[in-house]
Amino acid sequence: MVEKLGIPTASIIGSGFLKQAEVIKKGLGVPLAIGVYPGAPMVDSAAELKRKVEEVLAPDLLRALTGEAPTADETVAEPQAGEVILSGTFDEIQEHFHRQLWTDGLPIVPPTRERVDAFLAFTDRKPEDSVRILPQEGREASMLSIAINGVMSGCRPEYMPVLIAIIEAMADPLYRVEDSGSTPGWEPVVIVSGPIIKELDLNFGQGMMRVGRQANTSIGRFVRMYLRNICGFRIPPGAGDKGSIGQSFLVAMAEDEDSARALGWPTYGQDRGFAAGENVVTLHSVVAITSPMYSGGDQAATHVQQWTDIIGGSFTYWAHTGFKTGLWSPLIVASPSIAGVIAKEWTKDQVRQYLYENMKVTAERATHYARMTSTPTFSFENLVKDGILPPDYTASNDPQRLVNVIIDPKMVEILVAGDPGRNQSRAYMSNHVQGPPTSRRVVLPKKWQQLLAEKK
Amino acid sequence: MARPTSKTNEPRYDVLWPLSRKAVERKDAANRVPDLNGKVVAELWDVIFRGEEIYPLVREYIKKRFPGVKFVNYNEFGNFHGAREHEVSATIPDTLRAYKVDAAIVGIGA
Repeated sequence: MVEKLGIPTASIIGSGFLKQAEVIKKGLGVPLAIGVYPGAPMVDSAAELKRKVEEVLAPDLLRALTGEAPTADETVAEPQAGEVILSGTFDEIQEHFHRQLWTDGLPIVPPTRERVDAFLAFTDRKPEDSVRILPQEGREASMLSIAINGVMSGCRPEYMPVLIAIIEAMADPLYRVEDSGSTPGWEPVVIVSGPIIKELDLNFGQGMMRVGRQANTSIGRFVRMYLRNICGFRIPPGAGDKGSIGQSFLVAMAEDEDSARALGWPTYGQDRGFAAGENVVTLHSVVAITSPMYSGGDQAATHVQQWTDIIGGSFTYWAHTGFKTGLWSPLIVASPSIAGVIAKEWTKDQVRQYLYENMKVTAERATHYARMTSTPTFSFENLVKDGILPPDYTASNDPQRLVNVIIDPKMVEILVAGDPGRNQSRAYMSNHVQGPPTSRRVVLPKKWQQLLAEKK
Repeated sequence: MARPTSKTNEPRYDVLWPLSRKAVERKDAANRVPDLNGKVVAELWDVIFRGEEIYPLVREYIKKRFPGVKFVNYNEFGNFHGAREHEVSATIPDTLRAYKVDAAIVGIGA
């Protein structure tokens, strides 16, 4: 933050982003001087853009640099962490929490001291222990805040170790939680690996991504609740979440690890670098989902070619954002029945390699997509020159040359789960460097088995 | 945890504040520069939203009013919101010092 270095700074902000800027300003703790661009620059003619800059933006910026220094907002006193802020009936509490924008629009479970303490019993860490100061409101990701929001989301106390691991992943700077309110409106999905899948009764079979199973549903809901309450990503009448259309929370995923092992494939947790049998949570942004991918036959190539067609058809457009940043990941949820056919012939790495080699787009189309979205200066040549993309993206200067949609085979993720009685898979696309797959080991309390037995 | 009310027999709940402590170090804005003649203004750009058109127009507008101002082009800093966001952000303070920057324009959030 340049202003914090003692250098007067003026920020260019589109008029539709001013509320977002207000939230960010408070989280940074420094006043912002702003020059406003009225409307959306991507849809203005060159003449209209020039007029807006000369009449509005440039004068604003000049004032911001040469005029009065912006002043800080007055500090608003807040309750202490863990303070009782209201005593009321169920309805009174719902109303108050809704008015304060402390819910996701659904009724919450009242976070009473007793309920919160039951969650805290499932960690050996102290309530005030903080994982990190999280953007964008600059709040502590404390154990207490995780417990309270877990209660509110309808989680069970024994989910607490998973909830902590989720927030640890979210707090990784490479995950970029600060970009959770970007306009594409991506949503995190939680992927649980290890024996804790069965211990917490997560659904990894038919209907795995539906609401309905308590663990999957409430853990997914918790992520969105935490992003709203602690990170400050709220849609209107709040602010901070600028997802233009957005999507609803995703229920947590889990792998059918027995099936994966029976096929001879490493589990998803092993793919993420953990030992078999370790409990792991992975947080993964989802900006787009394919249609259901049905594939038939007893040959591996038939199924993987079908995936190539459907994933390519669904994700090729948005892959330009991955080209700009050198990273995007398709997460394929493969039905055990389909994975069973493929695994007879191919390893997971062979699947990745096939997808990498066969999913293509012309350089001209990809460039067009990037220029339409936000980047009129998009150029494969510059991205290769800067080392963001490998040299094969500029193997020729023919605009009709085919380039790989998948940047690196290692970026393809495969999870065995879903309906074993149907030949359906589905794929989930990450939002380039925003929310890349980020994993954390789940740390259980010393008395895990005893505590778990008491809850069952 | 929940106490029945006398009128309705409906439980009452004492609920905790659901947020956590803000841990933000507050800092005042830097002093402004009323006369930009002889001063250096840095441009930082995240390489989106037509900055390649907007920055030259802003530059021209300011130069008309302060002909002695100098600009450090955004290319000197790199894309602070791209593939190398963390690396680029880490180098910005040194680059600002190297160019003896007096003020900065940062964009584009749109």
